[in-house]
Amino acid sequence: MALDIPSPAALQLTASPAAVSAALTTTQVRVTSSFRGARIVLYGAVFDPSTTPSDVVVIVRGPDLPVRIARKTKVAGVWVNSRPVVFRGAPGFYMTASTRPLADIAGFGTLRRLGAGIDHLAINAPLEQHTETRYGVRDVVVSRLGADYLDWRRAVVRLKENAGLYDADDKGVTFVDKDLFKAEIDLPTEAPTGRYQAEIILFQDGQPVSRKVRSLTVEKAGIERTLYLFAHRSPWLYGLVSMALALGAGWAASLAFRRN
Amino acid sequence: MDLYLPIAEVSVNAPLLVALGALVGFISGLFGIGGGFLMTPVLVLMGIPPAVAVASMANHVAASSTSSVISYTRKRAVDFRMGGVLAAGGVAGAIVGVEVFRWLRLMGQADLVVALSYLVFLGVIGGLMLVESLQSILRRRSGQPPKPRKDRRPPWLYSLPLKMRFPRSRLYISVIPPVLLGVFVGVLSAVMGVGGGFVLVPAMVYILRMPAGVVVGTSLFQIIITTSLTGVLQAGRNQTVDIVLATLLLVGGVLGAQLGAKASSRFRAEELRALLALIVLLVGLRMGLGLFFTPDEPFILMTGMG
Repeated sequence: MALDIPSPAALQLTASPAAVSAALTTTQVRVTSSFRGARIVLYGAVFDPSTTPSDVVVIVRGPDLPVRIARKTKVAGVWVNSRPVVFRGAPGFYMTASTRPLADIAGFGTLRRLGAGIDHLAINAPLEQHTETRYGVRDVVVSRLGADYLDWRRAVVRLKENAGLYDADDKGVTFVDKDLFKAEIDLPTEAPTGRYQAEIILFQDGQPVSRKVRSLTVEKAGIERTLYLFAHRSPWLYGLVSMALALGAGWAASLAFRRN
Repeated sequence: MDLYLPIAEVSVNAPLLVALGALVGFISGLFGIGGGFLMTPVLVLMGIPPAVAVASMANHVAASSTSSVISYTRKRAVDFRMGGVLAAGGVAGAIVGVEVFRWLRLMGQADLVVALSYLVFLGVIGGLMLVESLQSILRRRSGQPPKPRKDRRPPWLYSLPLKMRFPRSRLYISVIPPVLLGVFVGVLSAVMGVGGGFVLVPAMVYILRMPAGVVVGTSLFQIIITTSLTGVLQAGRNQTVDIVLATLLLVGGVLGAQLGAKASSRFRAEELRALLALIVLLVGLRMGLGLFFTPDEPFILMTGMG
């Protein structure tokens, strides 16, 4: 699992003594048969002796999952799927919550460096890329998707947003008291299992001044886990057992009705 | 009561699925078909990934077919020899079909092929059945005698080699047409998530010219064998069978199938056929016409294989 989070040293922490701290109310989400999504609350505090206005940004990233996406095109009057394109670097879940819109908190370059915000995720389609020399410039990265590349990338984000897997809430971090803040993370039923990372960054004057990382795991539990592992570790036995159950149920029903 | 499905990885309403299983089971018992052609599209509309819906349906179809085939056996309405020959073809077809479906998913064309298959097969068969059954209903209403059944079998059926006797169907024909029919239905069962009764029953009546009394029982017998294999292959090769989904559906399905089989004696055969034809036609159009409309969202995520 490659979580692309820069080390604290790369953040160019300023000399300010301000610091942020935070904790998650739940660090382990169990996906059981009654799982219908989960809400996790994050509480944190800002320690700052000065009166510099602070902004807090919370970024929650799920495990990276390659995305296969196809575009529907009209061929002879019928809408068919194009060749699927694989995008890499897309987290299975991505949510940002902040006190203000991200663009107001920090500049483009800072956000890009931190990978903060859906627009700054490094989602690309490496299999479609090749380098060539253009206008005398060597090693220019060219995508086979051509000018439509941005449409494809935007579609990945849009479909994930529609599934509730990507979200940006620019009022998601609220101060419940002076220096004490709260953010809510809503995991939908479709949230992938795996390790999640919640990054809490304190901004002052458009610069990140303090950063904390908290981790969170989402895992199948109980009977769901047993069945999932059974289906994937011994798929043939699983197939035989489920078919035997089906045939047995049909036979039992016909017996039961004969008695009546 | 919502339930999270371990393989489909979505949350569904459990009583709704049991009720759906019962309704499709009832239709299945009433018409002597597996009912997969109805259930698979509904599951997809409910948000179950198509690959999981197609694979898990095999278990449901096998269960409800078992439940009704036993009562047909008691009425001696199953030609086991013919069923066995059809199933031999079906087994080969299912193995090919599961591989074809795997390849189509990799190419991203599974949706297109499934939708086109529904449109073509259900459209053609539903249309033909509707015309035929409406004609016999009109004939009966106007007091005309029923059209004499053409008992002359097509001569090519007799000119092929490898002849075999089927005493219960009163047939002495080559095994080649039933085996080919079985292969075709086996492929459909893996690709469309159906038992194939809607293809098998008309083909047995109009091509093989089997007596009407043994057609439904024999078709169900062959469907059990083909779908059992499909279900195991889908689980083993693609890991797409959701045991919780299949169980919910088949609990309702087996009960519905029994009630349907009981109710079928209350209707006239041609009225039942007309009703079935309408259902088949509507499902085929619903699945297939989507291909011609401009989609709201031009992009589609391919779930499953990364």
